[in-house]
Amino acid sequence: MDKTTLKLLGGWLLFGVIMCLLPLVVSTGTLRILIFAHFLAIFAMSWDILSGRTGYISFGHPFLIGIAGYTTAILSFRYGVPIYFSIPAAVAATMVGGTLFFVPALRIRGTYFALVTLAFMEILYQMTKVVAPKVTGGTRGISGIETIVTGAVPNYYLTFAAMFVIGLLLWLLVRTRIGIALSAIQMDEEAVKSAGLNTTKLKLFAFMVSAAVAGIGGAFYVHYLGSIAPRGIFEINFLFTILIAALIGGAGTIVGPIIGAYFLTMLLEFLRPVLPGMERYFLYGIVALVVYVYQPNGIHSLLASARRHLSVGKS
Amino acid sequence: MAIQILIHGFLLSGLYALIAIGFTMIFSVGRVLNLAYGVYIMLGGYTYFMAAQEAGLPVFVSFILALLSGVAFGLLTYELLVRRLENNPVAVEISTLILAVVMQAAIILIFSPSPKSMWPVLRGVLRFEEVSVTANILLATGVSWVVLALLMLFVRRTHLGRAIRAVSMDRRGALISGIDPRNISRVTWGLSGALGAIAGVFFATITQLDPHMWVFPLITAVAVVIVGGIGSILGGLIAAHIIGFLETITTTLIAPELRGVVTMALIIVVLVVMPKGLFGKEEL
Amino acid sequence: MAEPLLEVRDLHKSFGGLHALRGLTFNIAAGETLGLIGPNGAGKTTVFNLIMNELKPTAGEIRFEGKNIARLATHARVKRGIARTYQVPKPFGEMSVAENIRVCMATDDLWKLISGRPDEAAERDIGQSVGFTDQQIGVQPSELSMGDLRRLEMARNIAVRPKLLLLDEVFAGLTLGEIAQISELLVEKKQKEGLTYIIVSHDLRALAPLVDRVLVLSFGALIAEGSFEEVINDEGVREAYLGQ
Repeated sequence: MDKTTLKLLGGWLLFGVIMCLLPLVVSTGTLRILIFAHFLAIFAMSWDILSGRTGYISFGHPFLIGIAGYTTAILSFRYGVPIYFSIPAAVAATMVGGTLFFVPALRIRGTYFALVTLAFMEILYQMTKVVAPKVTGGTRGISGIETIVTGAVPNYYLTFAAMFVIGLLLWLLVRTRIGIALSAIQMDEEAVKSAGLNTTKLKLFAFMVSAAVAGIGGAFYVHYLGSIAPRGIFEINFLFTILIAALIGGAGTIVGPIIGAYFLTMLLEFLRPVLPGMERYFLYGIVALVVYVYQPNGIHSLLASARRHLSVGKS
Repeated sequence: MAIQILIHGFLLSGLYALIAIGFTMIFSVGRVLNLAYGVYIMLGGYTYFMAAQEAGLPVFVSFILALLSGVAFGLLTYELLVRRLENNPVAVEISTLILAVVMQAAIILIFSPSPKSMWPVLRGVLRFEEVSVTANILLATGVSWVVLALLMLFVRRTHLGRAIRAVSMDRRGALISGIDPRNISRVTWGLSGALGAIAGVFFATITQLDPHMWVFPLITAVAVVIVGGIGSILGGLIAAHIIGFLETITTTLIAPELRGVVTMALIIVVLVVMPKGLFGKEEL
Repeated sequence: MAEPLLEVRDLHKSFGGLHALRGLTFNIAAGETLGLIGPNGAGKTTVFNLIMNELKPTAGEIRFEGKNIARLATHARVKRGIARTYQVPKPFGEMSVAENIRVCMATDDLWKLISGRPDEAAERDIGQSVGFTDQQIGVQPSELSMGDLRRLEMARNIAVRPKLLLLDEVFAGLTLGEIAQISELLVEKKQKEGLTYIIVSHDLRALAPLVDRVLVLSFGALIAEGSFEEVINDEGVREAYLGQ
């Protein structure tokens, strides 16, 4: 491994150590908030490896998360399948189910991909209400789902470990040549074909990784909450939060979505006493719009340029 | 039953055609997708509701106000977001989605999240043999067709309209016509807002007003474009009818909640079997 | 006689009512350099698009190394050994010269893409072989001149290891000095790697010393074929050029 990679791996290690020590100093309330940040980070990274990298914008990630959540919820709650089996099954179902729906959409150009995936999310919402409500619980969903661990501290460590491992693996992945090839698709897909690369295969790979991560996140999420309902999962606001976490942090970087998820969750908590309800989406949205229009590369690039300035100042 | 489906399918399709044309205008002129389009529909509905139902203004005045709200918001989307991001379709797509969520939150703040039912624009029921049709939906279809016809006349007969058509075929078209391409974009966005708002008034009367109502028409518009193919007005009209009829058949014969499911199935089938759509000239 | 590298048989392409190509037939032998000239709109770039499967032919057949390649996608044709440049160079804008070359050197094997390391020495070699300095290899395309961008196009095309290289207006927008450099590069690469070229160019003076044979297209049809001197003295060719 080259020097920069090793140096940055040191950064990951430091981040890991700090986050592991955190429960010693902060309250369980804060830990519960951070648990949500970890889930949001997993979802945002899942979005990022597909959309941030290849430029195929997915508005259907709640659809993938929902497939995973419902699969493991139904298997464990209705049929008594143990969770160490139902969670892998949910991840597999997300990859297979997602492929069935998304792959036709990957045939079209990037622009329409987004709208088609949005349609999938909306319509899965309609379907959970009508198709087999006895199994899915209809509009009310399923509650009383088995949890993996109980208590704030164990859940904190579990979700942090999941996020940390996924984040590190994805980060290493995008630093390989496949990461470069995927970003090249975003810049000019035709030119990637002219370079002799099968872009369909590359996009499918990115999609599969994205679906697997969404599946893991979705399954753990449902087993943390102990419940699932169509509203809350297949919802524009949920999609919006994932998207904003990735964009504010910096799309295409993997580290960006993690930063974005922490930032957004903290901002939300900070604002909660002032803005308890829907106002926060209004405010979020306006802030996100301004940031996106004026600094489309997000916090990550701000930090990177700050670091460059600092190191220039030192030398 | 069959006659019922035939008439209702036909009436619904007219409205869908209007919704879809307003949406595709933006794409064919600017090559960007406007996800805030559903907001114009929602805004049209809520403005009409405020004017006619809350303030008690006459129907016609309320209608004009709704239309103007669409025009204003269309222009605002263009000036504040799209013009700044013009060459980047991905950025436009993302920022218009964010805008739509902001507007959804704004509507919830002003009107509360609960749905509101809207009075029909025109009251009364007409009977033909055993089929009954509300005057309101008949008016909706009538207005839709009149608006579409006027739009066609505008595009084919006026200099500005021809310039818009030229740009939609070739981006350099505007230079030939001697009209500032910015102005062409402004006119298109304003028109698109107007079409969305007009459709929104009627769409709200046949469904209901709620802060989430912008999503479904947007998806319908996308479905019409994908099924009909890009760059084909006739294709769009036919696709609107295919989708309108399919939905009417499903909702009357099977279950009302399945409305969107058929549309999705249709999108997938078309994408797999014929990626250019039924009448499209270019691949999506 | 050895089998031709590329055979084009009765190739047709129409866009709606417009016939861009009407029955083009030609061969090119391995190691040969073929010029493809003709007035604007004659269908030269369309020929390249069809060979690369960026467009589908209305009718006709293209054989490469004796095999019909009709069913091969663009990337598969590149893997067989056909590459092309574009009239307007299209580098990956937010990548350095080295990374541009890296994408073109990538294999189609996903596992190797993940596990393998980029061969930075080979990237530098390719960069240097087209005349980039070590400093230039690290910069982004936005900092390069037109001549350098054409060089980058060459580097990217060499990186995919083609047998046949389709060069579209490689001299456009270049100074005389740059034209000489690119020409020299073409000759050198041909001698070293045994490349075969089809060159589309409006710059006949630059083309003349490079080509073994020239095809002249006009309104999608082949109107003359022969050595450079034969072709430019042909009555029909003069008429086609003057008549436009």
